[in-house]
Amino acid sequence: MNTPVEFMDEDFKKRAGVKGKALYIGLFRKFILLTLICSLLPLLIVGWGINIHYTNFAKSRMVNAFQLMVDYHRKIIEQFLSERTSKLRLIANTHTKDDLKEAFNLNHIFKMINRDHGAIVDLGIIDETGRHLAYIGPYDLMSRNYSQTLWFKEVMEKDIYISDMFMGFRSEPHFIIAVTRAEKGKKWILRATIDTDAFRSFVENVRIGKTGEVFLLNTKGEYQTSPRFSGRIMEKAPFHTGPIYEGTEIKFFNESPDGLKQSFPKQIVAQTWLKNPRWVLTVKQDYAEAFSDVNHANYATLIFLHLSAISILIVAVMIARYMISVIKKQDIESDQLNKQLMQAGKLASIGELSSGVAHEINNPLAIILTERQILLDLSDKTRIQDTEFKNQLTESMDQIDTQIHRCKHITQSLLRFSRRTRSVVEDVDLNSFIKEVIGLMEREARTGGIKFLSDLEDHLPSILSDPSQLQQVFLNLITNAIDAHDGKSYGSIRITTRFDEKNKGVKIVFADTGTGISEKGLEKIFDPFFTTKPVGKGTGLGLSISHSIINQLGGNIDVRSEVGVGTEFSLFLPLKPPPDLKEDMADD
Amino acid sequence: MIGSKILLVDDEVVFANNMSKLLAIRGYKVTSVNSGDSAINALEEEDFDVVVLDLKMNGMDGITTLKEIKKLGLFTETLILTGHGSIDTALEAIKIGAYDFLAKPCEIDDLIEKIEGAWEKKDEGEKKDIQEKIQKLVESPSAAFDLFPPKKRKT
Ligand SMILES: Nc1ncnc2c1ncn2[C@@H]1O[C@H](COP(=O)(O)OP(=O)(O)OP(=O)(O)O)[C@@H](O)[C@H]1O
Ligand SMILES: [Mg+2]
Repeated sequence: MNTPVEFMDEDFKKRAGVKGKALYIGLFRKFILLTLICSLLPLLIVGWGINIHYTNFAKSRMVNAFQLMVDYHRKIIEQFLSERTSKLRLIANTHTKDDLKEAFNLNHIFKMINRDHGAIVDLGIIDETGRHLAYIGPYDLMSRNYSQTLWFKEVMEKDIYISDMFMGFRSEPHFIIAVTRAEKGKKWILRATIDTDAFRSFVENVRIGKTGEVFLLNTKGEYQTSPRFSGRIMEKAPFHTGPIYEGTEIKFFNESPDGLKQSFPKQIVAQTWLKNPRWVLTVKQDYAEAFSDVNHANYATLIFLHLSAISILIVAVMIARYMISVIKKQDIESDQLNKQLMQAGKLASIGELSSGVAHEINNPLAIILTERQILLDLSDKTRIQDTEFKNQLTESMDQIDTQIHRCKHITQSLLRFSRRTRSVVEDVDLNSFIKEVIGLMEREARTGGIKFLSDLEDHLPSILSDPSQLQQVFLNLITNAIDAHDGKSYGSIRITTRFDEKNKGVKIVFADTGTGISEKGLEKIFDPFFTTKPVGKGTGLGLSISHSIINQLGGNIDVRSEVGVGTEFSLFLPLKPPPDLKEDMADD
Repeated sequence: MIGSKILLVDDEVVFANNMSKLLAIRGYKVTSVNSGDSAINALEEEDFDVVVLDLKMNGMDGITTLKEIKKLGLFTETLILTGHGSIDTALEAIKIGAYDFLAKPCEIDDLIEKIEGAWEKKDEGEKKDIQEKIQKLVESPSAAFDLFPPKKRKT
């Protein structure tokens, strides 16, 4: 009988998840995982995708704009040079050597040119032998002969020449523009020096931020204008210029061109070749600065994206927590309900079974009893000589009687299970009722060294209930409490009554100082046939009957216990019995 | 009362036999039968002071048998024996008109006590009946024929 009950218990617990802390954690994880997969992941993928796409788009736009700007700037520099070249040609072609030899004329022309455009430091006329015929400018160069200089040879050959930066006789970096004119079979040269500083500021006249620099390099890779940071004019630049090409090239430098890696900021570099002279215009800027706007927008969107992801995660965690707590609560509730239902079901089926069993056993018992009586009657009539036999007979007869009574006690306990349909309901004054019950048990308790203590509420309202059933319950609880002091020489049973105004009922507590009940025992204590008492002493029906009686009367019974300290049974009884019980009354 | 006539109805043959032996030893005139039908037959044949009736029997059960007995309209009192501890059925039996009930297994002394009670009640009923009849007879002697028909039993 015990096995199926236990089996059901285990199975039930597994289903209801009473031991299922892990189950809730699993559920929680699943929920979070689902949120991650269904909302966070798509959000992040789409967010990142859009961000990357937009960044690339914006960057390529910016690179294009950069390229265009550099291209445009190259044209402006070319224009600057070609403008001055054509001016010189115009002057050479419209004046004779003799005209220009006059210092006054040359000075006039010098002033005229500089008034319009400026940036010309000096003008000079040089004959085919390299001698200065005339010179206007801040240096004393009249005595110089240029026949051995590079520019002289070049201009005599090409007629128009723009030099690279060189030091020359004045020992300062400068470059010149020179044109020739043939007069009476002899060439002469008109030469102008461009103001290095003016040219440099002209070249640098581009918007390139704090980290940017603009400079020109010649084909050998020497600076033609002083760069802001990376070197000085006429020094060799750390990058090689490579072959000459059309248009503008964009490069990204990840490391310093001189190989010094440490903390080199990534750079964007645009290079484009001038037509004449063959100089390469180089515009350089730190990558971070060039793309700072894009990067800012980029960071902002990423931060926003991740913030929303985090908030979704937090909300998901909170919702999951809440849901789990709701589920837990419901589980506990349904668990309790199931337990009650199971207890009721168990009791009902055991009731049916036990009444059948009881009846079947009672009949043979009745026969045994009559047989015994017949034997007794006969032995009374017969004179038995053998005293030993006679004594044994009496002893056996007594033993048979005792055992039959024991069986009868068991069957009667069983029969109490067959559900009573009728309760006899009366007004019960619980305080005096409890005093009566204590009176019944006092003698038995005293022999075990157990005292009754009662703490009864003064103005306890009387309740409508079935006194004989209540008596059965109280006696059961008190008997158990007395039994629990087995092996202790003293102890006490405290009975407390309290009016529970809120729940419209009365609370009765039976607290003892007995052995207490183990946790495992507590789970089964209301199960029929659960007993720890020796065979013949307890049937294990007392508490389950009490439980069903109290339930039937519309109340409930609870237990708390600590091993070695004691046990406390609390009963709640309503002021009025439940309506279904009343119907039974009306029936009566 | 020593010499009372008792009808024992129980489908447990051994029990019925043992009981009748025990009661006979104690001076009762006992007839035992093993079913409701034979009980009714026996009652129709003969007068009994007390019927001891088992509630749970195969065939006609105790309650039905009791109802049938009541239909006979006798002075006989019925004592219910029940192996089934359910007080409900026993109470129902008392409602129908049983004298009392006793749970099996029971001591012979308890049974005898109840039988004596039943017998007294039956006796009282009979005496009262006779007194009433005498009263009526005194009032109108012509009614004698109605009150004491040739046969006591109803058909
Ligand atoms: N007050 C208590 N202190 C300690 N253990 C208790 C107490 N009440 C009940 N128990 C334990 O619960 C078990 C079941 O009690 P229950 O009253 O149902 O049956 P029983 O007392 O063993 O037998 P029965 O009451 O049918 O004679 C007991 O055997 C005992 O182990
Ligand atoms: Mg008990």
